[in-house]
Amino acid sequence: MTANRGRIRLGRTAIGRLVVVIVAVGLIVAGIVTGALPERRWEPFLQVSTWTFLGQGLLVTLIVGGIALVASLAISVPLGMARTELRGPLGWLVTAWIELVRATPILAILVIVFLGGPRLGLRVTALQAATIGLIIYNSAVLAEIVRAGIGSIAKGEVEAARSLGLGYTSTMRFVVLPQALARMIPAIVSQLITLIKDTSLAFILGAQELVGYGRSFFNFYGNSMETYVVIGVIFFLICYPLSRLSRRLEAREPGRERVVVTGEADQIAVATP
Amino acid sequence: MPELSAALSEYSDLFFEGFRNTLILAIGGMIGALVIGVVGASLRVWGGPFFAPLGTAYVEFFRNTPLLVQLSFCAVLFAPNNLNITANPIIVGILGLSIYTGSYVTEAVRSGILAVDPRQIESARSLGLSQVATLRFIVLPQAIRTVIPPLGNITIALTKNTSIVSAIAANELLKVAGIIETRTASFDGYLAALVAFWCLTLPLAFVVSRLERRLKFAR
Repeated sequence: MTANRGRIRLGRTAIGRLVVVIVAVGLIVAGIVTGALPERRWEPFLQVSTWTFLGQGLLVTLIVGGIALVASLAISVPLGMARTELRGPLGWLVTAWIELVRATPILAILVIVFLGGPRLGLRVTALQAATIGLIIYNSAVLAEIVRAGIGSIAKGEVEAARSLGLGYTSTMRFVVLPQALARMIPAIVSQLITLIKDTSLAFILGAQELVGYGRSFFNFYGNSMETYVVIGVIFFLICYPLSRLSRRLEAREPGRERVVVTGEADQIAVATP
Repeated sequence: MPELSAALSEYSDLFFEGFRNTLILAIGGMIGALVIGVVGASLRVWGGPFFAPLGTAYVEFFRNTPLLVQLSFCAVLFAPNNLNITANPIIVGILGLSIYTGSYVTEAVRSGILAVDPRQIESARSLGLSQVATLRFIVLPQAIRTVIPPLGNITIALTKNTSIVSAIAANELLKVAGIIETRTASFDGYLAALVAFWCLTLPLAFVVSRLERRLKFAR
């Protein structure tokens, strides 16, 4: 019975994929036939030089995303711990910082770093400003995830570790953080998707990343719509496997308490009971 | 302080136009996203072998591509004579925001529909409740409880995302702040825009976290 049910489900996803592919191919064919998507505007995408050109942009996007992720993670752990542990004025300061940054549109942070930096004597290129802005925003979001992760560890574990003679640092280092980080991984992966999508905002500052390269490309060939579709597909090919990964990691331990953060649209998948 | 009032008071009309447009984008985008979300979730749950995969494809594609790319595509799509920029950035912005946010709303509404155990509906029906009564007393109270907190989070994210519509030349808060900066060389427009965004997002975040806590205990 169980095996049977599994087979039926497999059949349904296969049909589902087939339907999606057929509809997509049908749309493209209809576009070419009706002239809404003229063939010649797709032709540049058959050249190798197009892909090496867009590849340079993709490389910039990935490097910015990678740097921002590593730096945000590194900052978010102490920031999240400070948010959990600190009391008094210093604690309020950390809380206010995290809440205000999370309440600010990320594009506003990027623009303010780029235009406000020079006023404070910090000269940055558009790409540097975008990276700094991404780090500021994502470290605050990840800090909130860290806080939720630490909060999800049973109090008894901390008490047990402390009464066994471990200090605060050792308790965190050996008992709380390893478990908390493991629970946070789906939420972190899902935040990584947001981060990769947000790297595109560097383009608004004038930085040359994937969207910027795409714009130079279609300014030359005059195929803006097609280029945006291709860029969208490139982003999709990066982000979709990540979102599958995030869901798979979540489903691996269904009974376990999940780390959910308020205010982030991408956490919905995590929040669903 | 005097400088702040100088730049801002000179351009206060422009600034409030920006604030108004941000509100229009957020409200319009949310209405559009709710319509798309209810349709999308219905497709995903009751669409059968043909429409359900299309709903899934919509959600996955639009959730995993940047809003900026979607907005730029819409702007080009509705541009006159291949000018690559649209004449109606607010309307195109609402459209782009609706499509992007709709994919998140679809998932939220779907989780609401699925949160109700089908056996409860069967029991209610066999106990003699009419279809409307089942919906009114059994399904909706539970579904709404599941849907409201994520919808609140989506609204916050949407409000913040309206700033990206500035990229297609819509005069919303961030764009207006940029105009004030180029005309007066004063940074106050940006600071005021920050405060204006906080006035929208912080109360929303507060309400959502309160609701989340209350609904968690109500269950």
